[in-house]
Amino acid sequence: MDAAAELSQESGFVAESGAAKMQERLQKRHQARIEDAERRKEDKERQAVAEEKGEYFSSTFNGERACIEELLSGCSGADRAVVTQILEEATAQTVQLQKFLNDSTLFLTQYELRQAQAALQKLQTSLAETREAALPKKRFAFRARTKAADKVAPPVSDTASPGAGTFEQSAQVDGAAAFEQCGFSNMENELLTKTSDEIQKRDVLLTHLTNCKVRLFGSPSTLHLKHIDSCEILCGPVSSSVFVDHCRNSILALPCQQLRTHNTTNTQVYLHVTSRAIIEDCHGVSFAPFSWSYPNLEDDFSVSGLDRDRNNWSQVDDFNWLAAGTPSPNWTVIPEADRKTNWDS
Amino acid sequence: MGLLTILKKMKQKEREMRLLMLGLDNAGKTTILKKFNGEDISTISPTLGFNIKTLEHKGFKLNIWDVGGQKSLRSYWRNYFESTDGLVWVVDSADRLRLEDCGRELSALLLEERLAGATLLVFANKQDLPGALSKEAIQEALALDEIKTHHWCIIGCSAVTGENLLAGVDWLLDDIAARIFTAD
Repeated sequence: MDAAAELSQESGFVAESGAAKMQERLQKRHQARIEDAERRKEDKERQAVAEEKGEYFSSTFNGERACIEELLSGCSGADRAVVTQILEEATAQTVQLQKFLNDSTLFLTQYELRQAQAALQKLQTSLAETREAALPKKRFAFRARTKAADKVAPPVSDTASPGAGTFEQSAQVDGAAAFEQCGFSNMENELLTKTSDEIQKRDVLLTHLTNCKVRLFGSPSTLHLKHIDSCEILCGPVSSSVFVDHCRNSILALPCQQLRTHNTTNTQVYLHVTSRAIIEDCHGVSFAPFSWSYPNLEDDFSVSGLDRDRNNWSQVDDFNWLAAGTPSPNWTVIPEADRKTNWDS
Repeated sequence: MGLLTILKKMKQKEREMRLLMLGLDNAGKTTILKKFNGEDISTISPTLGFNIKTLEHKGFKLNIWDVGGQKSLRSYWRNYFESTDGLVWVVDSADRLRLEDCGRELSALLLEERLAGATLLVFANKQDLPGALSKEAIQEALALDEIKTHHWCIIGCSAVTGENLLAGVDWLLDDIAARIFTAD
């Protein structure tokens, strides 16, 4: 009994001194924790840049926005040229503001971001409205006009359908083509030749030829054939693509990198092609390996850069015949017996 | 590393863009794609279907879709419109006879609702050919100045020599980056 009391007394003492120690330890720990928090706070403050603060953003953003709004309000009643200039400036500033917002998304809260986007949206709407009010779009209307007058004074914001403009302009473009383009067009029953000097590394165009024999000695960089009827066209190595459209009852012989054939009927092609030949909307087209030759052919082959040993003349892709396994009915291989061998006739 | 830092990093990782490359057949779309990616351009065949390339440029991940331009494939173009950030329209600057076609196809594309937000880059390709029209002439022929619905830019380039391809793609990326929230 006695021993037990003593023991309890002793343990009471131990507990007392233990509590004091514990308290001291807790105190220390608390102190350390505060210091640690303090240090982290400082770290964080050091990291945060002034610009990455919500207040900085909103004050700058609103300032800029007010600036643009003021610009826009200056539009009413102003001269057309002045308005155009103001609108341009306002548009540029709006784009800049958008960029500023974009750059700031990383540190903005969702709410701030939404607010700023809404404000920007409103700004853009009012910009569009001002533009509409000051520089109304032209409504379509028929009018008598001379071409010259039209050219001298192009309307500032002509928004007539783009198709209409394209027609007129491409007519001019075609006109320019007539004297610049290398090739032949609108001929009948003639023997036409071009020498290497005339076509080397050029883009050659043959159009609207009927019943002609064409010999192109040399290596053009591209070749376009369009509206060809009953012709025999022989050409040296073409370094890139050959484009054939609306050709019929003809014989072609050419080496090239790609052959693209469209709307062609009843035509024989003696072909050297290093990648692929394709046909689209064609029928009655037949193929055989290129067999025409002329004295400088080998030189022209090296100018063109075409691989003499790679000829995929018999691998023709038909864009109208995508069934794998069944051959396309639109093209055939010319049987060996029927191939043309004499080109000088 | 706090949660915010992780979030920031994740946001910066989402720098992915989808570019759609269209144009008439024989314009040079595949050649541009392969040249840009540093591949051999001498074996390119006319595209029967489409090519897709994923490449890294300027810290962006680009998914470039190159869809064949043959007439019979054009009706399938619309299958590729969804979530396109940038449209690259490739023009054969030497093909004067089909410029009108080219302009018509482009203006039809620009009316597409699903391409409404996309930035437009026009490549006036094949500038290495002596008969090529200047980019100003193409700009006029395609009536680009009348486009008010899209951000656009025209750049004269040559896929064969590689000239100006980088300048064009850089402009496109900058414009898209300023629009979608991934700019630095």
